[in-house]
Amino acid sequence: MKKLEYIYEDGSHKWAAVARDPEKPGFLIDTNEYLVLNGGEALLADPGGMEIFSAVFSAISAEVDPYTIRHLFASHQDPDVISSLALWLDFNPELKCYLSWLWSSFIPHFGGTAETFVAIPDEGMTIPLGNLALEAIPAHYLHSSGNFNLYDRKAKILFSGDVGAALLPSGEDGLFVENFDRHISHAQGFHRRWMGSNAAKLNWCERVSRLDIDMLCPQHGAIYRGEDVKRFIDWFAALDVGSGIKE
Amino acid sequence: MEEISDNTASQASDLCRVVKANEDIKKVIRISSGVNLVALNAMLTAKRSGERSRGFAVVSSELRVFSRKLEGAMTGLGALIFELVRDAAAMRKQHHERRHLLNIQARGQQMRELMEPVLARMDERMHKTGGEIGRDWHRLHIQLNRVLQLCETGGSLSRSAKIEAVYGGDMTATLKQVANQIEETVNEIFSTLKLLRTQLAE
Ligand SMILES: [Fe+2]
Ligand SMILES: [Fe+2]
Repeated sequence: MKKLEYIYEDGSHKWAAVARDPEKPGFLIDTNEYLVLNGGEALLADPGGMEIFSAVFSAISAEVDPYTIRHLFASHQDPDVISSLALWLDFNPELKCYLSWLWSSFIPHFGGTAETFVAIPDEGMTIPLGNLALEAIPAHYLHSSGNFNLYDRKAKILFSGDVGAALLPSGEDGLFVENFDRHISHAQGFHRRWMGSNAAKLNWCERVSRLDIDMLCPQHGAIYRGEDVKRFIDWFAALDVGSGIKE
Repeated sequence: MEEISDNTASQASDLCRVVKANEDIKKVIRISSGVNLVALNAMLTAKRSGERSRGFAVVSSELRVFSRKLEGAMTGLGALIFELVRDAAAMRKQHHERRHLLNIQARGQQMRELMEPVLARMDERMHKTGGEIGRDWHRLHIQLNRVLQLCETGGSLSRSAKIEAVYGGDMTATLKQVANQIEETVNEIFSTLKLLRTQLAE
């Protein structure tokens, strides 16, 4: 069963991870959902797929009043990211969903009306949450062509979506990366095949390495902490991506 | 709530029934474009046989009017079918979403309370969609009866064609052949529509 775990707490300002679920059937990719709370309201980053909605909703509601969730943030358009949208809107029709402008006419196929979406321009934007200004950081072409990370300057947390994702074998269920070298071997194939552009990758590494980051939180796999954040960025910068193209 | 969950079977059959009905409607549309050709053929034959088959010519031009009306009426049926598919699909989707919400509700008292207003809204929506589907079927029945009435005209036209053929002099044999063609086509439309009506009544 999915469980909500706090990974950052400073008064009413909190980050919680609804981490991957060892009991989930193997044909669905496992995901992490992140809840950012501040001043009585919350934002849910990458709410997840329709099939796991009840697990995510229950895990959150066990700890937090789900009506405090006012905003959804979808890093990109994939079904594992946002196909639960219609169900979230069944629960609360007033929810707003932040999403790259690229997908604002695609995602309504999952649900929502013209009022539901806030289109993020290519250069990103700030997303207010209580007295906090979260930042949508461009991560285009990694892997989606309209893709954003979410940065919390105060908590020093970067939600990185599919960047940093690892497809971990069963048994490796820890919330955080404990052994970088062993962990990254499960991330390599994913990054080489899903990520399409070396130029986009270097541009992202350059910008993100200038941010102050304590935790880099991917949508799949474990969270990078402390030194592992820099290790990951360096590893990614050196990795050749776009492996789907065969000479 | 029970009432809605018991409706699963009826939702599945709504879509299946619509698909079946649509196949019949497509068949009738195919045949009725055939009527137009038969009528044209009848008019040409009547023209060739000259003054003696003026009556036959009148019947065949009436037949063309009939085929155009029939086509229009069948298009109307098609539009109703389209609405039924849309509403039946919406019902399926709502039912699917409801199942996910029920999953949450089953996780204890706190979740039950949280889900109560959500499920109430969902049930209201499904009730509305169910009413919509009921109205769709009703309108389909009415339109179908209208088409059947129209077909009565087709039947009497085919009988008139047979009578007029008798006055065709040396063309009588040809005109009779054409009249038989008309009769066959109209009968085929009739039997398909009647089959459709029994299927819808099930
Ligand atoms: Fe993705
Ligand atoms: Fe993903």
